[in-house]
Amino acid sequence: MPKNVKIAYVINFAGLLLLFAALYILFETGVFGTRTDYFKGIATTACYTIIMVTSLNLLVGVMGEFSLGHAGFMSVGAYASAVLTNMLSEKAVPGFALFLAALLAGGIAAAVTGILVGIPTLKLRGDYLAIVTVAFAEIIRVAFTNFEITGGGRTMSGIMKLSNFYWVFWVMVICVTVMYMYVRSRFGRTVKAIREDYIAAAAAGVNVTFYKIMTFTISAFFAGIAGAIYAHYLTAMIPTSFNFMYSAEFLTEVIIGGTGSMTGSVIGAAFLSALPEVMRAFAKYRMLGYSVVLVLIMIFRPGGVFGTWEFSLTRALRRVRRGLRKGA
Amino acid sequence: MSILVQSLINGLNQGAIYALIALGYTMVYGILRMINFAHGDFIMVGAYTMFYTAPLMVSYGMPAWMAVILAVLVCTAVGILVERVAYKPVRGSGSISALITALAMSLFLENLAMVLFGGNPKTIMKIFDLPMIELFGAKIQMKYLLTLGIGLAIMIILTMFVRFTKLGKAMRAVPQDREAATIVGINVDRIITVTFAIGSALAAVAALMYCSTYPRCTTDMGSMMGIKAFIAAVLGGIGIIPGAMLGGLIVGLIEILVKVYLAPGWYEAITYGILIVVLLIKPSGILGKNTGEKV
Amino acid sequence: MKKMVSTAMALAMAASMAGGTLVFAEEEDQVIRVGAVCAMTGGSAVYGEGAQNAIDMAVEEINASDSAYKIEIVNGGAVADDAKDAKQAVNAYNSLKAEAPEAIVGSFFSAVTIPMAELAAEDDMLLLATGATNEQVTQIGPTIFRNCFIDPYQGKMAAQFASEQGFTSAAVIYAKDDDYSNGLKDAFVESAEELGIEIAYVGECTTTDTDFTAQATQAVGSGADFVYYPCFLDTVPLLVQQVRDAGFEGAIMGGDGWDGADLSGLEDYFVNCYFTNHYSSEDTAPAVQEFVSKYTEKYGDDSLNACAALYYDAMYMLVQAAENGGGSDTASLVSGMTEMSFSGVAGDIYLDENGDAIKPVVVNTYEDGQIKWLETIQPEG
Repeated sequence: MPKNVKIAYVINFAGLLLLFAALYILFETGVFGTRTDYFKGIATTACYTIIMVTSLNLLVGVMGEFSLGHAGFMSVGAYASAVLTNMLSEKAVPGFALFLAALLAGGIAAAVTGILVGIPTLKLRGDYLAIVTVAFAEIIRVAFTNFEITGGGRTMSGIMKLSNFYWVFWVMVICVTVMYMYVRSRFGRTVKAIREDYIAAAAAGVNVTFYKIMTFTISAFFAGIAGAIYAHYLTAMIPTSFNFMYSAEFLTEVIIGGTGSMTGSVIGAAFLSALPEVMRAFAKYRMLGYSVVLVLIMIFRPGGVFGTWEFSLTRALRRVRRGLRKGA
Repeated sequence: MSILVQSLINGLNQGAIYALIALGYTMVYGILRMINFAHGDFIMVGAYTMFYTAPLMVSYGMPAWMAVILAVLVCTAVGILVERVAYKPVRGSGSISALITALAMSLFLENLAMVLFGGNPKTIMKIFDLPMIELFGAKIQMKYLLTLGIGLAIMIILTMFVRFTKLGKAMRAVPQDREAATIVGINVDRIITVTFAIGSALAAVAALMYCSTYPRCTTDMGSMMGIKAFIAAVLGGIGIIPGAMLGGLIVGLIEILVKVYLAPGWYEAITYGILIVVLLIKPSGILGKNTGEKV
Repeated sequence: MKKMVSTAMALAMAASMAGGTLVFAEEEDQVIRVGAVCAMTGGSAVYGEGAQNAIDMAVEEINASDSAYKIEIVNGGAVADDAKDAKQAVNAYNSLKAEAPEAIVGSFFSAVTIPMAELAAEDDMLLLATGATNEQVTQIGPTIFRNCFIDPYQGKMAAQFASEQGFTSAAVIYAKDDDYSNGLKDAFVESAEELGIEIAYVGECTTTDTDFTAQATQAVGSGADFVYYPCFLDTVPLLVQQVRDAGFEGAIMGGDGWDGADLSGLEDYFVNCYFTNHYSSEDTAPAVQEFVSKYTEKYGDDSLNACAALYYDAMYMLVQAAENGGGSDTASLVSGMTEMSFSGVAGDIYLDENGDAIKPVVVNTYEDGQIKWLETIQPEG
């Protein structure tokens, strides 16, 4: 690794630590008073939504394909992890280990589903691929309404409450970092080449199908992790929650944030998961307001708020330093 | 035996309604290459229009189905408005942006309807007063035949329109090469508006037949059946007018037959499964033309 | 903190025992701060409309009366929206909690109430569920109550009714992706078999279905003389119509989810249809009459359904709990509500040790499209 990249990682990690410390202090000192739990809840929702949206952005931004069935992978992760922790709940496994096991189980289950879905479908492209992902997500939803181990179509309840904000924050950081590294890696660059011109890429000897399935699987893996967080945050879930509209919400967040921009995904997810809460004041006009905001953003920033721009802490710091030098 | 006959009839009826809705999806997709997720909500607009105007029609001594004329007007107006206000600004920024705008518009229309009409599901008055006939021990409602007939008629008219009229030819030129179409003097914006007008008017007709079979309107009725009908359009070959009809009928039949004979709890999964299989074998749908991609 | 509460409670109790001579409680303490949650947007918004109207009405009545305790709805008097979605329900709960309510009322669906109940149990918050009929809801904690039926109870009562009426063969059509529908179906099937009713056909549908012709054909083909359809009001007119059109002439029955279904123009179809409910709009009891007439006058009958009645009752239950417990703080409310008896619009309730409502079931039928009281089945024991 070149030295400046190493430094960049250290600086970014320091920045995240500062952010975490700031949030920790805000939540623990009770600055928000009785609102602490409310904000913490929104922040937790934002964290798993960020994982979902960034993982979907691997498909949309990097691979240039879009999926309208990402909630399907999320539900696989959610149910698989819940089944696992239910089995382990009797045994004296420490909470954090259980949480990690749940995340891993959710991720792996979703990744396996991702491979199974990806192998047959990834030869399709564009709108057709999107439709097939809708179809698979619906099949997954119907399957869960029929599986007895997850309570059938009923609410699966009594899942252990393991997702607390502080853990979830770091899980989110690790997931986003890994995905960012994947995009920057040799693999990620190859996938981008396929996006730009898959015929040329294939001609250059790239195994197009392999790279596509790998990206799809990684994306599903992280969606599964987000699902595991979801299950252990809400402690109860029903298959109908993972419907088409939920998948559409994630895709919307990717596009609003800006395709291909990880920054956009993170901020888009955080913004749109908080937006319905901000709109609570409008009572029954709440979702009307939400949809108006979506339409307006699409009209005035059709490429998303951030486009392909990435935030860089090192760059920002450099600019600040330059500003200071000029000032001096 | 009679259960089989009855199921086939029920399936064809449900399929004919899917087909009517699918025609609207296909029409817009065929010209614009855009999945108009708000199409289902145009049907919701049509259904609510009929809920309010059908009793008025009757009180003026006209048959209830005449309300469809008003529904066509309202839906067309809404369709054109949505296209002009929301879709046109994003037209240049790729298909995903258009898709998200359509999803947002769908959400907007649903929530607007909820604010305007309230959340209570409304039962629509009887629109057709047609008899029921018995055949091989199965009951056939005449309105079923009417639905199928209207679907076929619209399919034929649309096909003829697109193939033979000047406007229709211009419509077919737009998706092939938008720039070239402009050069030969086609007003692309106008063509797209006309497409939306036709698509929305179709939604009103679909709403009429939907309401005569399922006489109920809810604010979210569009999004639910919209996806099914859209799947039907893709199955038949999206952008191909007879394909929508075929796809609709197939989906309707499969659903009913699976519910009766196979696994009722899995019927949606099986429909979607068939879609996946068809797309994998023939990516452009049953009636679609496979076109290799150019470098 | 807990110590303070208990000391306060002890003092309050002493004060009330002393015959009210020692009035040191401030005016503020006579106000119960309540947060309410229901689905205000999305496909189930009709329940939220009913809930909001009913709460407005009840609060206005209570605060205008000479009741010792008044109610203040936090969040500016508005019901917080859960959109029938678990994660929004959790946010709604937390947002209400921020306003320091003494009790939270809601929500209407089990799937969204269970996550809220988990939080309420953690916070020792009184949660009075209004429509969450899943058995598990009240088992989550001692501060969780409900004023609706539990699923097994209503299904059992329907089977009992079918058997009393002499039906011998039943077909059940239920929504597989819903707690309520599953719960009622299971209980109905179990009780019906015990009572000697043959279950001729069990058909599955989903909550978003509109076409029931497949199930209708099979139900008719099975030769059943009774169809049980435990689902919500939005699909009821469609199902009844399609089952009748398929040539079914027997009885069709449902649960309290049927209340409020719009049957305009379908009067003929609803002959020989029944549903179990908490109350009958025909009931001559003054509480019911007053509720129905006042509600209709104020808001029309568009959103007058079982949900509205349950939220209405919830407000009065809290007032009574405060009277029983001798205070408007959460602890007094919980102690006042535990095993309390209450008489309201939705029947005479006894809250058992789990916090579940034990109350009579009203069987309604229809006459010319109007709901008609048929009988009231008292709970056993």
